[in-house]
Amino acid sequence: MTDLYLILAVFLLINLLAALWRIARGPTPADRLLAALLFGTMGVAVLLLLAYAGGGQTLVDVALVFALLAVITGAAFVRRVWGRESNGHS
Amino acid sequence: MIFDLLLVAALLWSAVRVLTTPDLFRAVVLFIVFGLLMALAWARLDAPDIALAEAAIGAGLTGALLLDAVAHLHKKRQEQSP
Amino acid sequence: MDILDLSSAVLLIIGAAFFLAGTVGLLRFPDVYTRLHALAKADNLGLGFTVLGLVLQAPGVAAGLKLILVWLLALAASATLSFLIARRAFAKGISPWKPEEHEL
Repeated sequence: MTDLYLILAVFLLINLLAALWRIARGPTPADRLLAALLFGTMGVAVLLLLAYAGGGQTLVDVALVFALLAVITGAAFVRRVWGRESNGHS
Repeated sequence: MIFDLLLVAALLWSAVRVLTTPDLFRAVVLFIVFGLLMALAWARLDAPDIALAEAAIGAGLTGALLLDAVAHLHKKRQEQSP
Repeated sequence: MDILDLSSAVLLIIGAAFFLAGTVGLLRFPDVYTRLHALAKADNLGLGFTVLGLVLQAPGVAAGLKLILVWLLALAASATLSFLIARRAFAKGISPWKPEEHEL
């Protein structure tokens, strides 16, 4: 089972690298942030897989913090950066 | 092993991009991504406590604060320019 | 390789497939709303199947419940953020993408 966990973790990391492309290109700020949020979710999955591939149960706590952090970043983005009046940014 | 090599490559690439990107908002998003990858690297190095601190402080709180600072800078620039 | 390991492996692979679908959607879809849709698939179903596959391997009840808690937190976060971003994008006047009209 450990081999399968590691293979899937590598697969998800390759997906993350593909999402980096969207961050580099994305036409609007929201696209870049969506890719960052996908990073957060996939990071949670990779951490859970690593935790069960021999990393220890503490990594589940790190995954919990990852999931919590996505909300803070996204809320700060929507409330402060992507405001209704600042059109010069999009 | 492949996992570590890919992780190092992504870390180096995002670090270079953070420093060379002229657009501030893009640099902040890349910084958040760099923090997430760094937390994965710490988790891989058997240091879950540092990974916890990196994810919470390095990527989460600093990312939100930097986004806030970028918004303030844009507002100030828009007030000055017209 | 008993039945528990087998079903866990199948669930994990289904979850990875949903993550792949989310990434491809993020790269190929035309505008913000459709990309939000792809992201929601990766968040909810991909992470959900991954967590479900790992719960079968959990050493105890508490560890399994913690995994499910991670999934519930990610669900709430993704739903809230999708709503906020889509509402703000609509308020900014970004019009949803429409397929190009075919003249028959």
